[in-house]
Amino acid sequence: MEVSVNTFTGKRILFFTTAIYFALIFIPLISATEYTFKTSVKGSYSWNNYRWVFEQSEFTHYVLRSFWIAGLSVIVSLLILIPLQTWLAISQSKWRSFVEVVSLFPLIIPVVAFAIGAQVAMPLFVQDSVLELPFLYAMLSLPYTYRAIDIGLSAIPIKTLYEASMISGATWPKTILRVILPNTRTAVLASSALGFALCIGEFTLTSLLHWDTFPTWINDVSQDSVLGAITLSVISLLIPIVIIALFAFLLTKGKEKNE
Amino acid sequence: MPLLPFLFITGFFFIYPILRVIIFSFQSNEGSFTFSNYETVFTFPYNQGLIGSIKIGLYSAVIAAIPGAIIAYFVESHASLRFKRIIAALNGVIANTGGLPLAFMFIAAIGKNGAITKILKSIGFDIYAGNFALGTFNGVLLVYLYFQIPLMVIVFSPAIGILRRELRESAASLGASTRQFWLRIAAPLLAPSFLGCLLLLFASGFSAYATANALTVGNVLLTPLQIAGLLNGNVSASQLNLGKALATMMIVVSGLAVVPYLIIQRRVARWKSV
Repeated sequence: MEVSVNTFTGKRILFFTTAIYFALIFIPLISATEYTFKTSVKGSYSWNNYRWVFEQSEFTHYVLRSFWIAGLSVIVSLLILIPLQTWLAISQSKWRSFVEVVSLFPLIIPVVAFAIGAQVAMPLFVQDSVLELPFLYAMLSLPYTYRAIDIGLSAIPIKTLYEASMISGATWPKTILRVILPNTRTAVLASSALGFALCIGEFTLTSLLHWDTFPTWINDVSQDSVLGAITLSVISLLIPIVIIALFAFLLTKGKEKNE
Repeated sequence: MPLLPFLFITGFFFIYPILRVIIFSFQSNEGSFTFSNYETVFTFPYNQGLIGSIKIGLYSAVIAAIPGAIIAYFVESHASLRFKRIIAALNGVIANTGGLPLAFMFIAAIGKNGAITKILKSIGFDIYAGNFALGTFNGVLLVYLYFQIPLMVIVFSPAIGILRRELRESAASLGASTRQFWLRIAAPLLAPSFLGCLLLLFASGFSAYATANALTVGNVLLTPLQIAGLLNGNVSASQLNLGKALATMMIVVSGLAVVPYLIIQRRVARWKSV
């Protein structure tokens, strides 16, 4: 009896706390969205700012650029981490705790300090190419991508799978591609999504190293057109919210069906 | 061996740059060993920047931690699986919001001509009656809470799992009141995680750059802004390696917070698995 009363009040408090929380999160977002529909005439609204944004040739350019840089960074992370973490899990190597500690380093180092480091340490041929960004981004997202893959690997009987695959005559690459990857699909996807989201919004490192991506372009736009920049900001915030909400929704749907 | 690519890439793209920063911070313009960069770090305006950064990290962590922990508790213990996932996804997005987009949202909401400012004014409450402005220390602090609270929810949520139902039931069967349960069992169990998360939030607020950069125009003294100013050549200093000394100071302060956080996390994960 007491338990049910408790959960009832608990649910009510849950409702109130999340209502306040949602209000605090969404009020600034809605206010900014209202701004994007404003025109120079007081009290009238239009799609003009959105039309202006999509008419900019740089818009597609920078969206695509940010996408491929973030995508490449995810690929770099996965290529390094999946074989490594599979190997660590199977071999129970003493390197495991070392790798884990290194993967957490980026949490300790402020991005501004890392930016200075990249500027003074990277050889010129690296600094001259935008291809340095995917690698640097992969470092920034390392704590998150490593952890996501780790969770996926610890959820499967990896040693058994590996031995079975080896007995069947598979090579290392084949084992990873055909056995490990399909069994850790969700974790690999989660790791990729997380890494992608972090990279696509990265501003500090990118701007301090003087590269142009979508987030730094918003900064440039704000010099000429504040309303245009606010519109771009709203777009850049709404897209991940919608994608991730859909992702979470579909994922739970699949789960419920399985159960 | 799959270890080699990892060692090479993290070594070259991460460890090596950090080591270079630390080594350069002890070099004079001519390349000889010196502490003079650090002497400058502790003089105006750089010392004030460091104090400002520590203050904004501390205040934003302390203010965000309590509401964040309360939300984490109620969501973890009372929400359905789907609702938990939606909140988690939303937190992930909001905690990573920063820079100009975040600054614009607050300007649109509570800037001088913001929607909320106008609504509050129409009911007779003028937030600009005092000396509040978004581009000041207090303004930046307020905006930081927008990503600090969701960050607290994210990092504190796993800790709630330690309050298993059996704990509450056995406490109740031994005659403990709800108050006693919270004071004697829940609080001591959650305290280490709470402290750890507080440290992580401190590091997050202390290191944040993009938002402060978007909101202020050099009037708020914060170390990340000063480093960026030196890096972009907006500020000239007679000491070429001053920025590296500032960066090293940031790494030290941030490390003093994040390392204990990581150790606490590890311990708590071990308790939970027992």
